Order: sequence, then structure tokens, then C-alpha cells
Amino acid sequence: MKNVKKLVEYVLLTLLAFFFIFPLLWMVSSSMKSEESIYQDLNSVQALLPSFQITEWLSTYTELFSRFDIGTYLFNSVFYALLVTAGAIVVNAMAGYAFAKFHFKGKNIMFSLLLAMLIIPVETIIITQFTIIHNLGLVDNRLAVIIPLIANAFFIYLFRNFFIAVPDSVIESAKMEGAGHWTIFWRIMLPMSKPAVATVGTLAFIGSWNDYIWPLMILTDSDKYPLQVAITSINATEPVFINQVMAILTISTIPLIIVYIVAQKYLLQGLSSSGSGQK
Amino acid sequence: MDLTKKQTRLKRWEGWKSSSLAFQAQPFYFLLPAIILLGLFLFLPALLTIYYAFTDYYLLTPDQRQFVGLRNFTQIFGDPVFLRSLQNITIFVVGIIIFQVGMSLGLALLINKQRRGNIFLKVAFFSPVVMSLVVISVLWLYLLNPTDGLVNSMLQAVGINAQPFLTSPNQAIYAIILVSVWQGAGYQMLIFLAGLQNIPGDVYEAARIDGAGKWKSFLHVTIPLLRPTTTLIVFTTLIAAFKLIIQPMIMTQGGPLNSTMTPIYYIYQTGFTDRLVGYSSAMTVVFGLLIVIVTFVQRRFAKEDL
Amino acid sequence: MKLRVLVAGMVSTALLLSACGNEAESDGGDNEISLWVQTSSESPEGQAMQGSVEKFNEQFKGTYTANIEFIPRGGGGGGYEDKVNAAVSTGTLPDVLTLDGPNTAAYAESEIIAPLDGVISNTEDLLPSIVEQGTYEDEMYAVGYSESSVGIYYNKEMLEQAGVDLETLPTVDEPWTWDEFTQLSEKLTDYYEVPAIDMGLNDNSEWLMYAFSPFLWSQGGEITSEDGRQAETVFNSEANMKAMSFLQHMLNNDYTTISPAENGFETGQYPMKMSGSWTMEQLDTNYQDIDYDIMPYPVSPDTGELVTPTGSWQYAMSTATENEEGAGELIDFLTSTEAVVDISLANSVLPSRYSAIEEIEDDVSPQMNTLIEQNEASGKARPVLPEYPQITRSFQQTISGLPYYEDQAGLQELLDEKAKEMQTSLERRE
Repeated sequence: MKNVKKLVEYVLLTLLAFFFIFPLLWMVSSSMKSEESIYQDLNSVQALLPSFQITEWLSTYTELFSRFDIGTYLFNSVFYALLVTAGAIVVNAMAGYAFAKFHFKGKNIMFSLLLAMLIIPVETIIITQFTIIHNLGLVDNRLAVIIPLIANAFFIYLFRNFFIAVPDSVIESAKMEGAGHWTIFWRIMLPMSKPAVATVGTLAFIGSWNDYIWPLMILTDSDKYPLQVAITSINATEPVFINQVMAILTISTIPLIIVYIVAQKYLLQGLSSSGSGQK
Repeated sequence: MDLTKKQTRLKRWEGWKSSSLAFQAQPFYFLLPAIILLGLFLFLPALLTIYYAFTDYYLLTPDQRQFVGLRNFTQIFGDPVFLRSLQNITIFVVGIIIFQVGMSLGLALLINKQRRGNIFLKVAFFSPVVMSLVVISVLWLYLLNPTDGLVNSMLQAVGINAQPFLTSPNQAIYAIILVSVWQGAGYQMLIFLAGLQNIPGDVYEAARIDGAGKWKSFLHVTIPLLRPTTTLIVFTTLIAAFKLIIQPMIMTQGGPLNSTMTPIYYIYQTGFTDRLVGYSSAMTVVFGLLIVIVTFVQRRFAKEDL
Repeated sequence: MKLRVLVAGMVSTALLLSACGNEAESDGGDNEISLWVQTSSESPEGQAMQGSVEKFNEQFKGTYTANIEFIPRGGGGGGYEDKVNAAVSTGTLPDVLTLDGPNTAAYAESEIIAPLDGVISNTEDLLPSIVEQGTYEDEMYAVGYSESSVGIYYNKEMLEQAGVDLETLPTVDEPWTWDEFTQLSEKLTDYYEVPAIDMGLNDNSEWLMYAFSPFLWSQGGEITSEDGRQAETVFNSEANMKAMSFLQHMLNNDYTTISPAENGFETGQYPMKMSGSWTMEQLDTNYQDIDYDIMPYPVSPDTGELVTPTGSWQYAMSTATENEEGAGELIDFLTSTEAVVDISLANSVLPSRYSAIEEIEDDVSPQMNTLIEQNEASGKARPVLPEYPQITRSFQQTISGLPYYEDQAGLQELLDEKAKEMQTSLERRE
């Protein structure tokens, strides 16, 4: 009886796991066979397996790379994401440091204003953001993809909380040795808050990598497209080959898998503190 | 970098710092980049949106912008598409809260149990999270194709009729909910899991001694102790769900028959495709206010937990 | 320290890269004429344009030099148009630019493009649809350099096998009525047990307006009133009801489908496909096994009038130009018979001038000639309205909503609702 129950449990769990994973399997395996066989395999288990001809595995990718400038899109995405990540860490940490360790006039008001900004639903104001980029003459400029993503009220808040925990005595003794705030910031604060740096860095990287609407709006030159925009453009460029679409989806997912494996721990930290953050 | 160079640079810094004016200004320097960027891309657009909402700003003739009073606002409430989008987003938000939060809690409870192969389950449940919204939208567009999609061929294999999914005004929004739940549940599962593992074992022990069965201790121990985690998850999911745009944009273009048109997508279309920045801004103001109100109400309810 | 160096490095790279993207848009010299086009320089279309511009520079040596800049449209289709939008507010429009037919009204109304009075030679040689598409409030603003059309592709073998005598199929001079077409569809659907025709109903885009509005026109219906201010009572008129009933009938009997199999016609599953001239190229390169021909659009049984889709990209002069004469010369040159012939042959599109049609008739396939003939006889341009984006969206939703309304009452409800939606859009800016 107990064994039967256990069996049932495992069968159900396997089904559930299957529900979550079959799209991914189909995506990857479909990118490793011909378009024809994708449709032929629909009604069998083979749908979730790559072609039996190992030589066919990479041919979709070769075709895709010869039709589209995938290398450029990949480079763009990595380039934007790295710059956003670096910018987000530095800019927000600086502001977090100011809020944590300086005493200045209007600090409380500014901090409340900052928290209030968390409520502004950013996605609703994209049209006005666009008109601003417009007026700055930055439409179709790579900078326009990057700079709006850098400063982030939540990241500032995260850094501030981390920096507050650094005892003042550490800063005092550094000052005694003649270090200025800039030095303290780079040499002491940032190195001491590696988890915050990692959390912000990971979130910023993923945010930039997955960004779609904004680059879609401000970029016109396809040489500047990040992968996410390139995906929809490839999916709309006749003739559309389904195996090539699956290949570009796979290509754009791989870097994120790596990021998630490396940074899983920090992601959770980021989210858990995001909630407790807004008392 | 060699040492002498570093030292001279350090000295320069110190010299600057010790002039009292510079020292006073320092917090300002540290804040400046963030202030400029937040001001330019968050604060200013928010204010401008409110201003534009009262004008007839047309994207192609920015110089001929004129003040039109409340005209945009009166039109919004007679706009069948905008009203429909509010209805759709309500369905979506409620659906997401129920199914996504429920699903992620269920998955966390499943995984929390000691069993062989758990790590495989965890990876499976989490796997959709690593895909971007664009990727999952394009992927499911093919999976849910009514004629030659994998989902229908699987349904037919177990004797269920092929479904129209995204091409039906009655099913499309639910298909989008399904896809979104599938994508997001794994992430929140991990948070729930962390919450579950924070519940000390002796609490359950005490409940067992008091004679509580499995179900009872779930109801009276697990659920109450998970409340802060649940609040946190509901909170973040709710706000994110209101901003739905990528899935309908890629999968249905808001159709069929506006059944998947969402407020943000409509704001995007009117402001960008139709070039009616003024009108679109008025909708932004209305919908933005709505989100802010929901945020406040929710925070009030959740005060004790946050 | 490493991080700091890294950041500094990346920021300077970003600045460098963005600087590259921002070279001067137009240098405003008297002899230099800047030209923006929406294609890529590698495409056959782009190469034909490049060729024509070189010929222009040769002919006007010493007087004008035209510089062509390629700004390929993105996948969403908007890329090029967004760049034009941006140039409007920053005052960096070129002297001459291309624009899609449906944008004529918005650009003319916003004074982005200037009227072309007396600039174009030989206007009576232009196809009427081209003139219609480029005209806003009785003035010509833009000239199409090619045309497009849609026909009913059919698989000869499949039709014959199902017992259809190919000799009896319709011609441009004697098109079939909707009833006759429905009968053929029924026969094919019964024989093959698949939808007889892929009408592209899964394509939620401009295609629906482009390909399906001619059915309304054939019945005598309209989308909006002539002055473009009224959609209620016009879009939900009796004529439009009739035309939509034909489509509804095709759908409800599964003669066509809103979710056709991918490449169903190209792979020999479906016997017919409604599509534009671009499908010919695809069939000829990727699916050579399919032996196909093209028949014209079916027409309303009440009027018997053949009306077919048209539309193309066009050249126009920007209001920002300081060299109206040169810009005018360039547009005239690029829409001359010679340039139109070049682009038609290079890009397998239809010509926009009668004289060009005469020149290429003998050089193109019989299928292409059917489309050209059909276009010449019956092409009609889409409405020229500043509110076009909203109108076309409501129209698209009407077509894709058809399968969910099974009877006449439901259909009327759908048309009423969409007419109201269009009406609110038309009144929004008043």
C-alpha cells in the first residue's frame, strides 16, 4: 500500500515537472533539427529530442548565423548589460553611501522622496521618457539604452541598508589614517558589502538583458539591437524558419542560465529585502 | 598602477577634501549622479506626463502643443478600448495572484519534503524563470498554435479536442495567465521555500505533542508563520502583474477583439503608434494613480507583516 | 581599483560608439541632397535605389549630388518611422525621404512633407492608385515608386486532381463572384478535408486591412466617409455587412481558417493561398515543386466590380529642405519610368507607371503579369487619414473577430462595436 502511494506520488511529481520543463526541452531540441522534422515529430516523443543525425545539430545555428548578424546582437546585449551593471553598482552605491554615512541638510526629505519614487510605475511613463530622450537627441543612440537603467531607487535603498551596518568606527579609523570619503567608499565600503554589490549587479544585469520595450522604442538601427529585440525581428523576417527561431531563443537564454547558476543566492536576498524594505 | 602615482593622487584628494567647502559638498557629489539620472528618467517624466495629460501633444507636431483642459480625461472614460483594458488587467491580476501564488506555495511545500530526486524537481520548476519574457512569449506562441502546436497535439494524444487558445477571445487572456504563472512560479517557490525553512522544527514538534495532525499543523502553524513571506510575494506580484505588456504585445497584439489589450500596452500604442502623446499621458495618469492607490491599500492591509 | 578601470574603460567605449552613431544628418550644402530610405543597402530594392541615385548623380553632375542613407525597418516595422519622428523634433530631416502609403496623411497634416505641385513630370502616366495614395486634401504629397497587389494563388495539380477544369477559372476581365468562389472552396475543402485557402487570417497586422478592405469596396462599402470624419453608419453599413458575411461564411464552413498551418500552400497541404507578389519569389526559390498560377480577387455578386489591394512606399520632399528644386529633381528622377522599371525588375514588385508596365510586360512571368493586369484594372488605395493607425487596428480586429460571431445579428454587433471604436478615434483630436 505504501509503495503504491509512493509510486503515485512520483508519477504525479514527474508529470508536474514535465509540465514545467517540456517547453524548454522542445525549444532546445527543435533548434537541433530541420523545420520539416519539427512538424513531423509533433505527435511523438521525438518532439522533445534533437535530430538523430548528430551532424544536423548545429546546421540550424550555422544557417541562422549566416542569415543574421547574431554576433553583433550578442555583443550588444553583453555590452549594454555590463555597462548597466557597472553603472548601477557605482552610482547607486555612491548615493547609498551618502544616505548612510553623511549628515546633511534635507537628508530625510530626500530619502522620503526616494522611497516615494519606488511607487512610480516606471512602465507607464515610457512615452514621456521617450520624449525626453527625443529632446536630448539620443534616439537611436547606444547611450539611451543604458543610462535610464542605471539609477534605481530600490538599489540605493539596498546599498544604504548595507552601509548603515558598517560600524562608524571603521570609517573613523580610516579617517584618522588620512583617507577621504572617496577612498573610504572605494577601499572600505564597497569591498565590505560584496553581497549587496553582487545582488545589485545580478539584478541590474538581468534587468538589462531582458529589457525589450525600451530598446525597441529608441533604437532604429538594427546594428544596435540587443538580442531581445533581435528575436522579434528575426521572428518577423520572412521567410520564418521555426528551427531558426528556436535557435535564437536558445542562444539568448544560455547566458542567463549561467548568471542564475552563479548568482542564485544573491537574487533571493535581493527580493526578500525588497519587501521588508518599505516600512 | 605604481605606488607613487597612487600616492600623489591620494594626496590630491586629501588636499581637496580638507578645503572645508569641498568637504561640505561631498555628500552632494556622491548623490549627484543618482539625482541627475533619477530626475531625468523618473521624476521629470512623471511630472511631464501629468502636464502632457492636459495638452493635445501630437508626436509629429511637438511645437503646436496646446492646453486642452480636461478633454483627454473625459474622452478616456468614453474609450471602449481603455475600459476593456481595465477589465482585462483585473482578470489577469486576480488570476495571477490566485494561481501563481498558489502554485508557488504548492511547489515549495512539495519540495520542502525530504525525498530522492528533489534537486531535479527544483531545477525543473525553476527552469522557466531563466527565460526572458520575450523568449517565453515567442516560444509559447508556437507551442499554443491551434493547428500545429505541441500543446494541442499533446492534448489530442490524451483525447482532448484541440483548443484555439490565443486565437479565441474567450481563452486568450487565460492562456496568457497560464504562461505567466508557468514562468514566474519557480522564482516565488524559492522564496516560499526559504520562508518554510525558517520555521523552526520545534514549533511543529510542539503542535504534534498537542495532538495536531498533519493538516492541522499546516493550517495552524505553517500558514500563519508564512504570512510575512506570503504578503511579500503577493505585494511584488500584484504590482508587476498590473504592468503586463510584453506577452500580449508579442503573442496577440491585444486581440482577438481587444480581449488581451492591457492598459500599459494601450498607453504604448496610443502614445507611440498613434502619436497621441497627450491622450496617452492622461491614461497614464489615471492608470498610474490606480496602481498607487492599490499599493497604498495593500500596504495598509499588510502593515503588520512588512 | 580594477573595477574603476573597467568602468572608465566601458564608459569611454560607450561614448565612442555613440559618437559613431551620430554623424551629421544633413550638411545643407546647396548641391547636396540627402535622401533617407527604409531598406537595407544589401537588399535588391536598396541596390536598385542606389543604382538610380548613381544615375541621377551622373546626369546632374556639377549641379546636384544626392546622398542616400539606408535605415532598414526593424522587425516591428517601426524603426524607420521612429527615426523620422525623432528627426522631426530635432529638426534633422533629410531633403527627401521615403514613407509608407498609409503615412501620407499624418505626415502631410503635420507638415513634415511638402506638396509636390508641378514637380512630377507626366503624372497622368502614374497608376490611379498611386495618385490616390499620395494625395491629401487634393494635393499630391508623395509618389510611389512601385506597386503591390494580392491574388489567389492556386496549386494547379491539386485543383485538377479535385476535378476542377483549369480552363474555367476566372480572369481579370471576367472575375468570379463570391458565390462562385465559395463553390470552388467547398469542392476543394470536401475533397482534401483541409481548409481550401489560407487567407493569412493569423496575421494580426496591416495585412488584414490591406488584403480585406477590397471586399468591402467591391460591394460598394467604405471604411469611413469621404471626408474621413465619420465611421459610424459608414463602417457598419449594409454593404459592409454583406461583404463580411461572405468572409464569415468562408470561415464558418471551414473553407478558410484563422490558424492556417505554417506554409500550408507552399508544402502542398492547402490548394489555395491569398497572398501578394512576394510569395512568388519565395515559391520560386524555396518551394519549386509547387506548380502554381494566380487568379484574380473574387467580386461582389451584386456589383461584379473587381477591386484589389494596392500600396507601396513612396518618395516625398521634406519641409525642412532648403533645396526644393534639387529635391524635386531627385524625386522626379527616382519615380521616372526608367527608375520604376529598374526597381520592379530587381525587387519583383509591380510598376507604378503605365509606361513602365509596357516596358517590362515581356520580361516577367505570366503570374506576375496577372497581378500587374489586375492592379492596372482594379487597384484601390487604402484610406488617406491622419488617424490611420487607429482605424487599421479596429479593422484588423473586425476581421480577426469574425469567427466568433456566427450569425447576422452577431456580425452586426461586431461591426457596430468597431464602427463606434473608429468613431471615437476620429473624434479624439477635434
